[in-house]
Amino acid sequence: MTSFDIVFGSFLVSALRSATPLVFVLVGETLVQRTGSINLGVEGQMLVGAMAGYGAAALWGDPWLGLVAGAGAGMLLSSVHGLLTLAARANQFASGLAVWMLGFGLSAYYGAGLVGRKIEGFGTWRGAGLDDVPVLGPIVAGMTPTVLLALVVAPAVAWWFWRTRTGLVWRAVGESPEAARAAGLRPIRVRLQAILLGGLLSGLGGAALSVDHTRTWAEGMTAGRGLVAVGLVIVARWNPWWVLPTALLFGGAEALALRLQTADAGVSAHLLLTLPYITSLAVLTLTCLRDRGQAAPAGLRAVMDR
Amino acid sequence: MKLHRLVRPLLAAALALGAHAAHSQTIGYIYVGPEKDYGYNTSHDLGRQYVEKTVSGTKTLHVENIPETAEVSRVMERMIKSGASIVFATSYGYLDYAIELGKKYPKVAFMHAGGLKTGDNVGTYWANSDDAIYLAGMAAGSVTKSGKLGFIAAFPIPQVVRSINAFTLGAQAMNPKVTTTVVWTGGWLEPAKEAEATNSLVDAGIDVIGEQVDSPITIAQTAEKRGIFVVGKDVDVSKFAPKSVLTGASWNWGPTMVKVVNEIKAGTWKPSHIRGDLKDGTVVLDPFGPAVTEPVRKTILAKKADILADKFEVWSGPMMAQDGKELLPAGKAMPMDMLESMGFLVKGVIGTIK
Repeated sequence: MTSFDIVFGSFLVSALRSATPLVFVLVGETLVQRTGSINLGVEGQMLVGAMAGYGAAALWGDPWLGLVAGAGAGMLLSSVHGLLTLAARANQFASGLAVWMLGFGLSAYYGAGLVGRKIEGFGTWRGAGLDDVPVLGPIVAGMTPTVLLALVVAPAVAWWFWRTRTGLVWRAVGESPEAARAAGLRPIRVRLQAILLGGLLSGLGGAALSVDHTRTWAEGMTAGRGLVAVGLVIVARWNPWWVLPTALLFGGAEALALRLQTADAGVSAHLLLTLPYITSLAVLTLTCLRDRGQAAPAGLRAVMDR
Repeated sequence: MKLHRLVRPLLAAALALGAHAAHSQTIGYIYVGPEKDYGYNTSHDLGRQYVEKTVSGTKTLHVENIPETAEVSRVMERMIKSGASIVFATSYGYLDYAIELGKKYPKVAFMHAGGLKTGDNVGTYWANSDDAIYLAGMAAGSVTKSGKLGFIAAFPIPQVVRSINAFTLGAQAMNPKVTTTVVWTGGWLEPAKEAEATNSLVDAGIDVIGEQVDSPITIAQTAEKRGIFVVGKDVDVSKFAPKSVLTGASWNWGPTMVKVVNEIKAGTWKPSHIRGDLKDGTVVLDPFGPAVTEPVRKTILAKKADILADKFEVWSGPMMAQDGKELLPAGKAMPMDMLESMGFLVKGVIGTIK
């Protein structure tokens, strides 16, 4: 096996691992925004997901249960945003920020006892006989269950969103809730479903980070990834098909920033660490120039312009 | 007018309360991260608990997650208003705010962790973990098979640069050809990046990692998963990575803090730079892990004895910079200012601090 295989294969899987929590969150927030609302609380949902997931994995010793618990906690917290914005008609930005802070506080409070608890993570496929296969070997060796899950979830949701009747309903609600209502659909219900699904997926993303990727619970451990996801929805042009490449672009840039340092590239680390943001901004600028901001669902533009 | 009448007695009551609290000695602690981070902040909180337990009639307040901005001034002021007569500002970036506020509250004593400036009522405390990290580096240098070590660090500040250099020098004492590749994460608490940095280093053939981030926990567990070794810092995490942890340099702040508090109480305290080390027990070399063989342990402990007996000094020549230029000629000890403001990497370190 050449060093190219190792470098390329291990970089690819490193990018995948860095991107995985983002994939889940990004899929969820894309759906939320496609149905015409916005949830800034994803960061908080990720945090409760990471905390609850870690707690469940520590308590029951099963990382799968951790993922389930994380997803559940994220959904539960998103229901607060759903009720505030849809039932109480609260301002979406204010509600999102409140949910973010609530998630931060709750996860810090209930997570304090979890710091220093040890969990059993997922096993790896290292040494399963594939280690010496070119390119594929390092990829399989570095792969984890949540990476595979992310690789399945993103295209599955995209297919569902574009190819099924319910997907069509969700799109219709996002474009024009009035027209959707006139057509006998129920926009509020659809938006609530999207917010809850978004909560579930962001909680799952948080749990992937704590239970699988880092095997650590630490207060505020998402370090802004949730907010990054809200921004990346724009880079992904509100299209679930674009979620995977967008998350990979960001995760890849993050992995590259670390890997270039190990390769002694001689570039300032401060500059390298801004790489993910510079790359995302560059793509955003290019795509916005092309479609002049017309990619956003019309219903969402109404929220923004109001 | 009406409001004034209402506020005044309240203010008087608050002041009286404050005075009363000051009498029984209230101490405020401010942390830059979570108190339960299993790292730097936990080590300080253990010190706080030790003070509360050891010095009778002491009450402590503590606030976590305070950024190194004007926010910390507000928090310190709030603590002082609720009676704190001593404030421990435990993060590097708090120094200027503490000195500034010290002018406004001359009767309050401020203690800052690691600062290079003092004020009329602002002293600093720190412990030099370089000796312990050097010894831990010796363990790293003896265990590595590839001769390639890694170091994951948050920010290129002098205290971190010192650790990288001490780690490398210690390793080179066991194996002169050893190199240390540095990866910066750009944050004290970035578990996702720490895990991925560990993976990157392993993929690059590195088999022992040192670290200085908020908590060694993520790096140690990832290293254990990948089957390589780590050297810890701040808090002993060997129970999370029993095979991987070789040893580490942990803090023990309690006794230093108690000494300062007692001096302040007795009125004998003068602001100064208190510097503890391995010798006075503020820094502890963690127990060895199973990968460190008996002869290596003996060599390391012999070197430790030399340090304790002042027979060996980590920061003395001959010492070369990264580019091969001579930093110190043989036998010369490093001047204090060069040590405290360290802005260079020694020979054998791969990476940049710019």
